[in-house]
Amino acid sequence: MIQDIIQFPFLQNAFLSGILIGFIGPVIGVFLVVRRLSLIADTLSHVALSGVAAGLFLQNKVVQPINPVYVGMVFSIAGALFVENLRRWFRYYQELSLPIVLASATGLSVVLISLADGVNRDLFGYLFGSLIAVSRTDLMIVALIALLVLVMVVLLYKELFYLAFEEEAAVTSGIPKNTIHFVFVLLVALVIAVSMNIVGILLVSAMMTLPVAAGLQLAKSFKQVFVYAVLFSQVSVLTGLVLSYYFDLATGGTIVVLAALLLAGVIFVKKMVTWAKGSPRSPRKIRQV
Amino acid sequence: MSQEPIIELRDVTFRYDNRPVLEHINMTLNPGEFLGLVGPNGSGKSTLIKIILGLLKPQEGEVRLFGQPLSRFKDWSRVGYVSQKANSFNTGFPATVFEVVSMGLFGKMGLFKWMGKKEKEKVYQAIETVGLSDYTRQNIGQLSGGQQQRVFIARALVSEPDLLILDEPTVGVDAYSVAQFYQLLDNMHRKMGVSLVLVSHDIGVITSRVDRLACLNKKLFFHGDPEDFSEQQECILNQMYGHDVHVIEHNH
Ligand SMILES: Nc1ncnc2c1ncn2[C@@H]1O[C@H](COP(=O)(O)OP(=O)(O)OP(=O)(O)O)[C@@H](O)[C@H]1O
Ligand SMILES: [Mg+2]
Repeated sequence: MIQDIIQFPFLQNAFLSGILIGFIGPVIGVFLVVRRLSLIADTLSHVALSGVAAGLFLQNKVVQPINPVYVGMVFSIAGALFVENLRRWFRYYQELSLPIVLASATGLSVVLISLADGVNRDLFGYLFGSLIAVSRTDLMIVALIALLVLVMVVLLYKELFYLAFEEEAAVTSGIPKNTIHFVFVLLVALVIAVSMNIVGILLVSAMMTLPVAAGLQLAKSFKQVFVYAVLFSQVSVLTGLVLSYYFDLATGGTIVVLAALLLAGVIFVKKMVTWAKGSPRSPRKIRQV
Repeated sequence: MSQEPIIELRDVTFRYDNRPVLEHINMTLNPGEFLGLVGPNGSGKSTLIKIILGLLKPQEGEVRLFGQPLSRFKDWSRVGYVSQKANSFNTGFPATVFEVVSMGLFGKMGLFKWMGKKEKEKVYQAIETVGLSDYTRQNIGQLSGGQQQRVFIARALVSEPDLLILDEPTVGVDAYSVAQFYQLLDNMHRKMGVSLVLVSHDIGVITSRVDRLACLNKKLFFHGDPEDFSEQQECILNQMYGHDVHVIEHNH
């Protein structure tokens, strides 16, 4: 494997961007999960899909050398802005803006895909992730965005943490809620856009939430959630890339299945430990009586 | 500290979906004052406090904090707040007591900064003040309701605010800790000159500790010195039995 990586630049690109995405995905995902906003990731990834479909359409019909991923990126950023505005419009049903955008974007994607001559191998790669899709330029962009996301999260950590914990109190302490939320949604859109190549549009949100769900089982503090989530994410990304290379599996799918198995494993082990430690007074025993 | 009133409400009226909750409220809190706010359930106490904090916008009237109109007020770290439903947070949230109390400093520190040694020291101090030093690294979800409330009190104290607004802060806190808590408020009030607004149903505490008492039931129908016994009694009766405000008005 090591030899292959040294030998084939495309594998280097895939591994390096996998590691970067496996880092920023769960970092952003932690805030999504604790705010119970995982649906934002799903929504924006479907918006990105409609962008990719538009890109494929332009590529096929207007005959221009355009990379659909970048169209997807523009779409998901625009989608983020749109979701934010719609959220303010539906003041009392803020979460309603997400299914609305998600459904519209999916509809648009399907229409554009049918216009762009239907499902082909390229589209399959964008949907489920692929090893060979990452060029050197793509890798550079992933690195740039990973750096941006990391810097923003470090700089705004306090504010994101407080808003996630208790929005009202955060606002009364003078934290500019709308600005922070806006920046955050943009970061989500960027992470989704750069994860498309490797993990695939349909699996991006899983990449952002499954490792966090596992991390939540073990973490004793908010900071620890990040440590565990990134750890689980890296294990699934690296193992997933190797397995998908050797067995010619869809990369994103392999990664996400591994992340799900890890989560199940963590829950199982935790249950066993609690069970082994369970004193006669544990709630579990009481219920059995 | 300047001599401007800390809080100034002028003719504030607030409605939830056209249902009036507060009508023509006039109120001032002067520097160093300790104001008790009482009134039956649903009388608009929490609503009034949310208006002062800028969380709700009144349909009519003007609110000033530290002499500035609320819309231009930026210095929120001077205001500490413990909400009535402080434990309405998601109890599964993975944060330690230390992390939660730290939040009290975030507004003051400003954007882009991380906690330094000095800030951490303050957090430990605030945790000690509410007697939770043994729980510093515990997950907040694993504490009892009363302990959680003390964490939120520590969070409001840690930034050393000039104005502290407490909406039934001691609900679920045991008698010993309540006594300690009021001792602490007294200290802050007397020694540090902190201005206080306290919503409480605990009449004993209200009458023995506060400088001024405000009785609310849609209207602020009494706002004066708690030592004025007859008025005080009226207010308390209303507070305890939840008489309709009109009955009280007839008595005047
Ligand atoms: N979000 C809301 N939407 C509509 N009406 C509300 C809302 N919150 C409060 N109210 C109404 O406003 C009135 C005042 O409520 P508020 O919470 O200010 O009372 P309170 O004096 O704090 O009561 P308590 O002693 O129970 O805390 C109540 O009649 C309540 O039904
Ligand atoms: Mg209330």
